[in-house]
Amino acid sequence: MHDITSQLKNTMIFRGLSDEALSALAQKASTRKLAKDAVLMRKGDPGDSLFLIHNGWVKIVTVDSKGDELVINKCGPGETIGEMALLDGSPRSATVIALEDSEVLELKQDVFQNVLDQRPDVSLAIIRGYSERLRFATTYIERAIDWSQKTAEGDYSFINQTQPLLNQAGSNDDKAAQMLSAFFAMVRKVKEREEGLKQQLEKLTFEIDQARRKKEFEEITGTEFYTQLKEQAKTLREKRKQS
Amino acid sequence: MNKGKIVSIHSFRGGTGKSNTTANLAAQAAMAGKRVGVVDTDIQSPGIHVLFGLDENKMGKTMNDFLHDKATIREIGLPIGDNTDTTEGRAKLKGKNLWLFPSSIRGREISQILKEGIDFNKLNEGLQTTITEFDLDYLFIDTHPGLNEETLLSIATSDILIIILRPDSQDLQGTSVTVDIARSLDVPNLLLMVNKALPKYDHAELKKDIEEQFSAPVAGILPLSFDMAENASSDLFSLRYPDHEWSKGLRSVAQAVLALG
Ligand SMILES: Nc1ncnc2c1ncn2[C@@H]1O[C@H](COP(=O)(O)OP(=O)(O)OP(=O)(O)O)[C@@H](O)[C@H]1O
Ligand SMILES: [Mg+2]
Repeated sequence: MHDITSQLKNTMIFRGLSDEALSALAQKASTRKLAKDAVLMRKGDPGDSLFLIHNGWVKIVTVDSKGDELVINKCGPGETIGEMALLDGSPRSATVIALEDSEVLELKQDVFQNVLDQRPDVSLAIIRGYSERLRFATTYIERAIDWSQKTAEGDYSFINQTQPLLNQAGSNDDKAAQMLSAFFAMVRKVKEREEGLKQQLEKLTFEIDQARRKKEFEEITGTEFYTQLKEQAKTLREKRKQS
Repeated sequence: MNKGKIVSIHSFRGGTGKSNTTANLAAQAAMAGKRVGVVDTDIQSPGIHVLFGLDENKMGKTMNDFLHDKATIREIGLPIGDNTDTTEGRAKLKGKNLWLFPSSIRGREISQILKEGIDFNKLNEGLQTTITEFDLDYLFIDTHPGLNEETLLSIATSDILIIILRPDSQDLQGTSVTVDIARSLDVPNLLLMVNKALPKYDHAELKKDIEEQFSAPVAGILPLSFDMAENASSDLFSLRYPDHEWSKGLRSVAQAVLALG
């Protein structure tokens, strides 16, 4: 069991809030229990609240082109879902289903906006939270661009240099970090495959039939034409050398 | 007066890329500021003239007429640098010193030439006149595959012989005989070029093995390339796609030729 306020404090968006502000926020939130396989939200639903997973696990799914369920991610205790919806209210981009009996905290958009209206200090801290998240994402995108160029040129040296940075970043709710880590895994696989291909270079083995070579040579050189040509060529080359 | 060099391009089998190589080598030499001639030995089937964008109907007099004293060499040389079209690769040859000399010394005609008294000395004299009249640094000859009499004449008169081979046992076997013939005819410079090499082979290893086997330098290993096949002799590939692997290999052969003086 995790304490709700400390869970909120661990999210990137709310990490700048004071304990007092966090508990004020937590009080405005409602708790929802989900049975295994219950649907928390469906793709296309209006996005009007944020969820914090208090305990249990949920899967985020979408439907692939063949109509099959495709799990894009799994989220567990302390992770938030739909934080962008709190600000822009855009429709849900995926469906969320409980993997087991779970408990989530729901913060409604109108409640959240009331808090923002009444508490400029909380607004400011939350804006900081969002912008920090954005900055993180931007830094990672810049890095990904740089690495993409390096990969295209066959320079994989960054794999060894950058590993520690990733481990540090490991905050769970940070999709940018997840993207980067997926990128990393991809580059490592590409590199391995490339090295594998290099090793597969085959050696062409050939053997020359020397007896046949000799026989064919003699067939050509044994003619009257050839004897005469060789003589003429010899004279010619001597003449060329002199001039 | 004998400053120009005769460079023959030969291969044991047909379709190894002789015509494409000859035209591109000549083009590279011309781009390097050399005065270059190319003898097109095959104006019936798609040969060198196609690569230079010329129509065989426009080619009136040939080297044969010249060898029979029916035309002067001046009447035969077609200036490529003045006749370039807008095709991307070829257009680069504008103003370069490059001439094409159509000829038709194929199969039966060679025996006719021999019968009519145009022997090795006469052929050689003709080539030397061509070099002198046009003040050429290089005269490239695109030969026919195999070792018939015509080819033997070309080899015998060459200062530089480039043998193109594909990396397979049959070509290597055939090439071994050509190498022996070239040595027997005292060709001063012998270069090997591998064309249509599959990328899966270790090229460095291949070069080493072939050089060891024939005691002659491999001036380039050019890959089998879909782009090359698609180009289908419609343009001078090395001028059009200078950064392509095939073009890089071709340039290394051109440099080996130019390095021989
Ligand atoms: N490295 C390569 N990869 C793929 N295709 C090639 C390559 N080199 C040449 N070709 C293609 O092979 C064909 C034969 O080339 P080319 O006419 O130059 O050969 P050739 O030796 O002169 O033939 P021939 O013996 O018939 O005169 C052409 O269609 C050409 O585009
Ligand atoms: Mg040809």
